[in-house]
Amino acid sequence: MQMTAPAVRAFRSPRARRLRTGLLFVSPWVVGYCAFYLYPFLATLYYSFTSFTGIGNPVFTGLANYDGLLHDAMFRTAVFNTVYYTAIEVPFSTVAALGLALLLNMNVRGQAIYRTLFYIPSIVPVVASSLIFVWIFQPSFGIVNDLLSDVHINGPDWFFSIAWSKPTFILLGLWGLGQPMVIYLAALQGVPRDLYEVAELEGAGPWQRLRHVTIPMISPVILFNVILSLVVSIQYFTQAQVIESPPGSPGNSTMFYITYYYQQAFQFLHLGYASAMAFLLFVGVLIVTVVLLRTSSRWVYYEGEQR
Amino acid sequence: MSAMWTAPAQSAGVRPSQPPAGPPLRGRRGRRARLRVIGAGLSKHTALIALSAMFALPLVWMVGTSFKTAAQALQLPVAWLPHPFLWSNYPDLFASLPYFRFFWNTFLYAAVTIVGVLASSSLVAYGFSRLRWPGRDAVFYVMLMTLILPFACTLIPLFVMYKRFGWIGTYLPLEVPTFFGSSVFSTFLLRQFFMTIPQSLSEAARIDGASEFYIYSRIILPLAKPALASVILFQFVYCWNDYLGPLVYISNTNSYPLSLGLALILGDYTTNWAWVMAGATAATAPIVILFFLTQRTFIQGITVTGQKG
Repeated sequence: MQMTAPAVRAFRSPRARRLRTGLLFVSPWVVGYCAFYLYPFLATLYYSFTSFTGIGNPVFTGLANYDGLLHDAMFRTAVFNTVYYTAIEVPFSTVAALGLALLLNMNVRGQAIYRTLFYIPSIVPVVASSLIFVWIFQPSFGIVNDLLSDVHINGPDWFFSIAWSKPTFILLGLWGLGQPMVIYLAALQGVPRDLYEVAELEGAGPWQRLRHVTIPMISPVILFNVILSLVVSIQYFTQAQVIESPPGSPGNSTMFYITYYYQQAFQFLHLGYASAMAFLLFVGVLIVTVVLLRTSSRWVYYEGEQR
Repeated sequence: MSAMWTAPAQSAGVRPSQPPAGPPLRGRRGRRARLRVIGAGLSKHTALIALSAMFALPLVWMVGTSFKTAAQALQLPVAWLPHPFLWSNYPDLFASLPYFRFFWNTFLYAAVTIVGVLASSSLVAYGFSRLRWPGRDAVFYVMLMTLILPFACTLIPLFVMYKRFGWIGTYLPLEVPTFFGSSVFSTFLLRQFFMTIPQSLSEAARIDGASEFYIYSRIILPLAKPALASVILFQFVYCWNDYLGPLVYISNTNSYPLSLGLALILGDYTTNWAWVMAGATAATAPIVILFFLTQRTFIQGITVTGQKG
């Protein structure tokens, strides 16, 4: 095939050459993206309009799956449990991680030791930490209820109580806040010292320095971490799967969104129905992320940017 | 960002404690002020020690229980120290469960994916940081977007696809994608690091006629060793931890990784908590030891990815 002169020139222009080199380097990801993200995502969307068991071909059923979800009481329970967990775990662990980081950043002697102590739980394998928590929160022989009985409190059944199961999972989540804490600590140490000196000269107290210097300076890091931890906790699954048997017990109080999705997909082989759940989850995550990013301009401060 | 890596002691480690500024405190008022400083320091440490105890308790209790007899584990009020001190929970556990098999499966899974991640993520990260090309940033944002895509949105079609390939029951569904840059986290970490390397190095090499691949493999990669070490560590920890992936694709107990094998003992030995805790300790200890050996690489890696890019 003969190329026209301008086309040859465009093809050989430095711009085109840079594009080719760039694409060549990122090509593994482009292939992976199409095969492992884009195609399956579109297929999920398609399956969500079908009845499909994994054998044979999907049968198109229109909006039947979505209509089914609308009338599915268990689906509503799963949404409620997930929102409950996320709405408490994310703010609590953010504030606690930030608080610990602030505490460690106050020129404490032995900072590295404390930091290590707080960090280690977050690298304990998730199955191991689940087993540990089942054991320490064991209703009759666990150490937590034993310690509570020392102060004459009758401890609840924790993981095995309808009222307490979710709060206990939240405690398990809080135990692993080491990761964001280390990130916040590094961000705090990156805040220029002279800002504090100026604030002090202006007569700002510790609270005002925190409110008007520290928080604004690290707000981009906070935003990034909050988004990531939201996405993670909306997909809460593993710990509940390991600890509760059957999954979702007691009384469906730990039937989280993904727990129900997993049951529909891999136990009942309702692949179309589960795909509809997956797509709604995507819409939910997208809305939460967009809302956070949109409102972030009000509280996130980017250096060198006009507010 | 660059300061994070060139001065690790500052960002990731112990900072020399600075003496409080200002004139030395003298006299009665001075003594009171000094007492206040000491008091503040004491309350800070009291709070930190109490919190550390809370964070350490589950692990201490895990290790302690693992050396007890089954009966002593259930003793009330609880016994803080194992008595008698029982080693045999560990050999007993290893004898009754194919524990070393699980270890080996996990190692293999980690080793293969580490190769995949190192090969693909470093190339992709290079393309996103050391090269300028039209549309680069838009493509990069598409990649970041996949971070918020729930895994459920791709799982079913992938499962159907792998079933057609005959990959179900093997680790291939978990390993192959890593050769195609599926670890966005690693790519992001490496990109952040590559951006801190002065562009003048690449330009000088380009003037000398070096190809981009030469610059990538002979100049940038050798300089990025600390970041590559972080990637290896995180991928190892990821595989060690991964429960969901094997749960979906691995069904044969003999192929189980440690995470699935460990979950097995909860069902089988719930009556013997000392065994369960020995299992938990055996799974936790290697990763904690690894952390202590490589602490700096660990913390730097988290720090560099935690910052906005």
